[in-house]
Amino acid sequence: MHILLIEDDQGVADYIGRGLRDNRHSVEHVANGLEGLQRGQAGTFDALIVDRMLPGLDGLQVIEDLRRNGNKVPVLILSALGDVDDRVNGLRAGGDDYLVKPFAFAELMARLEAILRRQQTSSYETRLKVADLEMDMLSHRVSRAGQVLNLQPREYKLLEYLMRHAGQVVTRTMLLENVWDYHFDPQTNVIDVHISRLRQKIDRGFELTLLSTVRGAGYLLQDPGTV
Amino acid sequence: MNLKKILASLTFRFMVAYVAGLSLAVFIVLALLFASYSYNYFSEVNKTTHNEALRLEAIYNNGGRAALAAVLAAPQSGRAAQDFLYLLVDKDRNKLSGTLHSWPANSYASWLALEYGVSFEGWAPGREQLIAATLPLRDGEMLLVARDYSDMILFERIIVSVLLRSMIVTIVMGALGGAVVAGRGLQSVDAINRAVQSIMAGDFAKRIDLHNSGGDFLTLAININRMLDRIQTLMEGMRQVSDNIAHDLRTPLTRLRNHLASLQARVDGDEQHTVQALLEEADSLLATFSALLRIAQVESGNRLSGFSRLDLSVILHDVVELYEPLAMEKQIVITTEVQAPLPLSGDRDLLFQAFANLLDNAIKYTPENGAICIRSSGRDGGLLVEVADSGVGISLADRERVFRRFFRVESSRSMQPGNGLGLSLVQAVVNLHRGSIVLSDNSPGLKVAVRLPSTA
Repeated sequence: MHILLIEDDQGVADYIGRGLRDNRHSVEHVANGLEGLQRGQAGTFDALIVDRMLPGLDGLQVIEDLRRNGNKVPVLILSALGDVDDRVNGLRAGGDDYLVKPFAFAELMARLEAILRRQQTSSYETRLKVADLEMDMLSHRVSRAGQVLNLQPREYKLLEYLMRHAGQVVTRTMLLENVWDYHFDPQTNVIDVHISRLRQKIDRGFELTLLSTVRGAGYLLQDPGTV
Repeated sequence: MNLKKILASLTFRFMVAYVAGLSLAVFIVLALLFASYSYNYFSEVNKTTHNEALRLEAIYNNGGRAALAAVLAAPQSGRAAQDFLYLLVDKDRNKLSGTLHSWPANSYASWLALEYGVSFEGWAPGREQLIAATLPLRDGEMLLVARDYSDMILFERIIVSVLLRSMIVTIVMGALGGAVVAGRGLQSVDAINRAVQSIMAGDFAKRIDLHNSGGDFLTLAININRMLDRIQTLMEGMRQVSDNIAHDLRTPLTRLRNHLASLQARVDGDEQHTVQALLEEADSLLATFSALLRIAQVESGNRLSGFSRLDLSVILHDVVELYEPLAMEKQIVITTEVQAPLPLSGDRDLLFQAFANLLDNAIKYTPENGAICIRSSGRDGGLLVEVADSGVGISLADRERVFRRFFRVESSRSMQPGNGLGLSLVQAVVNLHRGSIVLSDNSPGLKVAVRLPSTA
């Protein structure tokens, strides 16, 4: 992947750049909003990581200008501010996701992969499939190896999100935001319990484990045979 | 503007006292007028009566009884005819001459009669109020000259009636004027109160509207607005500082955490566990900072802009749905008696956070096979949500303290993980929504009652 990073804080930029290169992505870094906009227009990037507060041109302005010119590249916004309004403004300006500083690198990586994936998969799909696990979006039927699984509505939503992001790490906050649709900090890891209940239903009695926990990062649903 | 408020207002009370004082002053002035007029009137009456008596005595002395009788019997002319009454009697008080038919049986000296006179009652028909002077003549004969003062009584009645009417007019006008002035004053006070209340609830951009006030209230409103500007500047400065501290500490802490994460990938065996423990420590520190910043953000009132119309029952169901599996792991049964809809204006994420914290606490401190009950209802323009558990409860002494930042009940420090910020955040969220929170004994366990204003 070829990623453009627009970030004026050298420390943060170094840290993100190093992490992305470790994950075998190539990174181009600019520290100025105006320059960032020019590079974003000219180059062909798979994704942009844009800080909100930038010298030259505000981060949101950069995104708005790009979108106005028909540029649909996925954008992840970084911000030091955590207000709900900022998140809403960021997404309204055309950002695809929003991450508040400081963040764990795993969180950045998971969200970056999620917005890249969103570009590739269509939300109008009617069938999702991971190994022998199948989800029929029209009849709301889930089955594994032909065996129908009985899921609660929330378990269904949770599984749907995991299947849409199959093969990539999904963090706890991503699940809270997308499956439960609330932005909040759970005091205890309540998501773990939901995951383990879901795992009971989809993995119990099967040889291959599809849903696994990635320590310190989140959860991963993938077909072990494809790795 | 309700009447009760007007009656209780300082302005109205001042006006009542003012009217009472004014009435008293009017009363005193009229009473003095009356007293002074009466005094002069009676002095005059006494003097003329006395002079008349002296004139008649002179006639008696010169011409004897016959001359006097002739004068008394002769038709009188002028003012004296209407005013004076006469009686000449012998030593046995038998009538010899005059316009009165008999000597008064009962006479008494009254203060109105002054030094010369005697007042009689029920004696001369139609002329009950008389002032008289008696004059002893020769051979025990007596002369009585009397004068009627009913015109004075009439005047007295007029004065009393004027007094009463002017008092009533003074009181009615004063009370009405007082109510109007108090009402206008209250409107200005009300405007100031409303503005101050919404500022206390966190809407720091709110200012008092200057359009409807004038005079002293305008000055007061301008001064309060200036004070608020100053407070806001100071608060923004404070928040800037605390935000900077939190940000400056969080950034290196995140860097530390990320270094640890990359270190974890390179080590193995026992060191893996050590690094994992360090990572968890760093995560919990970061979580504490996030919680602190979130509380500060909620308390600053910035989140008011994110308010929208919500149904609290939906949020409560979502919270229960999220936490139910956690409770089931401890065989805790959650029962819900949630009335729907529960309309209110609020921040969806913060309300979810607050009730999630309450339910999380309830699950933490309720032993296995316990029970948690969530009840909610809307009444009297407010919403009531109760989260009751069968856990260890909180002692009376600790019930206020648990809302303080970093306070943890002593027994829970060792038992449960946590940073002591959960309930502080709940309280901040409830305050932001202008609600209240009360802890009580569920014997056994704890009952948390949250009251929020409804929009229904």
